Amino acid sequence: MGRNRAHIWFVGPAVLLMIVLLILPVFVAAALSFTDYSLGNSSFDWVGTKNYDALFSRSSYAKMFSASLTYVLLVVPISVALGLGSALLISSLRIGGELYKAVFFLPVMATLLAMAIVWEFALHPIVGIVNDVLSAGCDIGWLHALLSGSWLGRDPLSSWYGDGCADSFPLWLGDKDYALGTIAFIGIWQGFGFNMVLYLAGLTSVPRELYQAAQMDGADSAWERFKLVTWPMLGPTNVFVITISSIRSFQVFDTVEALTRGGPSKSTYVMIYAMFEKGVKQNLLGIGSAITIIFLGFVLILTLIQVYFVNRKVHYG
Amino acid sequence: MTFRASWLGEFLKHSVLLAGAVVVLLPFYLMLSYSLKSPAEIESNTGGFVGAQEMMTDRRCLKAGNPPEDCEMRPIVYNYTAAFSEAPLLRYMLNGVFVTVSIFVIQVIIALPCAYALSKLRFWGRNVVFGLVIFCLLIPVHAIALPLYIMLAKVGLTNTYAALIVPWSISVFGIFLMRQFFMTVPDDLIDAARIDGMSEFSIVWRVMLPTAIPALLAFGIFSVVAHWNDYYWPRVVITGNRDLMTPPLGLRMFKSDLDGNEYGPMMAASTVIVMPLVIVFLLAQRRFIEGITMTGMK
Repeated sequence: MGRNRAHIWFVGPAVLLMIVLLILPVFVAAALSFTDYSLGNSSFDWVGTKNYDALFSRSSYAKMFSASLTYVLLVVPISVALGLGSALLISSLRIGGELYKAVFFLPVMATLLAMAIVWEFALHPIVGIVNDVLSAGCDIGWLHALLSGSWLGRDPLSSWYGDGCADSFPLWLGDKDYALGTIAFIGIWQGFGFNMVLYLAGLTSVPRELYQAAQMDGADSAWERFKLVTWPMLGPTNVFVITISSIRSFQVFDTVEALTRGGPSKSTYVMIYAMFEKGVKQNLLGIGSAITIIFLGFVLILTLIQVYFVNRKVHYG
Repeated sequence: MTFRASWLGEFLKHSVLLAGAVVVLLPFYLMLSYSLKSPAEIESNTGGFVGAQEMMTDRRCLKAGNPPEDCEMRPIVYNYTAAFSEAPLLRYMLNGVFVTVSIFVIQVIIALPCAYALSKLRFWGRNVVFGLVIFCLLIPVHAIALPLYIMLAKVGLTNTYAALIVPWSISVFGIFLMRQFFMTVPDDLIDAARIDGMSEFSIVWRVMLPTAIPALLAFGIFSVVAHWNDYYWPRVVITGNRDLMTPPLGLRMFKSDLDGNEYGPMMAASTVIVMPLVIVFLLAQRRFIEGITMTGMK
């Protein structure tokens, strides 16, 4: 192998694979999104923007967009806040920080599909432990009073907990008002530990002197020091954590496919699941490809927002 | 802050974190506990963590015509033997190992030389290639699963090991990570190797590879965790052929085959699938967290 030509052998395979496995599929999806193609058919017709028209007019797809957006809007803020909160608490501990870090990171490592099945069982309306614990609390007078608000003189039946005790607790995954929230809960449970370690890494890069300087300037309380030093210094970490959480939660699939299959009444019909159902299960590749393209559009927008903030070198204030 | 106040603060912080830890650990506790208990104990939520371990009868064993005394067993034995006999769990595990290891090895074989060329060789088009890498970093593989699936179906590769492995053979992220790492390797090292008469090929594998071990380890953790746990891609390209299923997909099939109260065996199967990574994580916690954060920072 000649010294001058070595690079061709080194980058050639990688470039070829990038083009075939990453770039080409985007074009394939873009092209197919204007057809009515399905596997097994020898020919297909160009249908113009019919697939996109369907996506933006049919109510099942409106539910798809709303399920995906609601999921992201539930999971991202809560998992980012929990990640930051636990990182701040852990980094300020005298002892035991490493232990909590390991525990909170555990769900990130564990096979989500397996853990989703465990959650499904824990949330089972009849034999599940969650509703068991909730209804056990109903028989403990003071706890019931506290949770139902009756200690404030409110009618216990008007509260969520009191109503659950009197009637029954939710079916969680089987109830269209709760299913998406339950799926989001599992997503938060799984993902916040990842945000936590990113924040812990971000916190170690905050120079100690800044805290002393802030204290000299009269920032006495922990909250003031957080506002003055920690939060502004975490700017780049924030941008990164928020973008990566958004992109990850847009891709939610495992929990939906294993636990609800998009139901009940399409309340958990998120985009990647819709793409899988239409494209792979029903062989409607045109509409599946159109969902792919819109999905890529969303990811692109999120990335551009990230690039914009990174280039501004976000340090608030 | 006074001494007492700071200890009060410490106590409050621990209380909050402990409450969080209970919720985080709940499903792990349930999974382990259910994998040990009898169906009756699972349904009634009794028996504590390990259950009473009273002898129970295996209905399937009776149906197969065995005498009742041979079908008596402890719930723990029942659950774990059923996990391996009712579903080809061992096969799934071996598939999982084969697929994750193959993916990682191929990713390194493709990415390492490319990263070396991008960081240490000067050639025409280098910036274009690097630009391509950065651009490809923006494409989430989940999103292009459908066109990849169509392409694989067109060449007749669905329901093969190749379908599970080939789409992941290129890791632009691996190239990027290795390139950043190689940028910090001094040029003198490579020049010395060249003076010794080493070919570029042996420089990559005999000089650069050993220096890259820390970065490779981080990337390896990232890659293995991602592909061992991946459910989406196997679900798309493997339809029906159980011999090719990876652990999460196998578990999913197990779940849809269930006839009601088989939660014990299913939780035993989940435990077997989840535990290898969890144990390695607990043993090498720091490396794992570093690896995942480093690779998360893309």
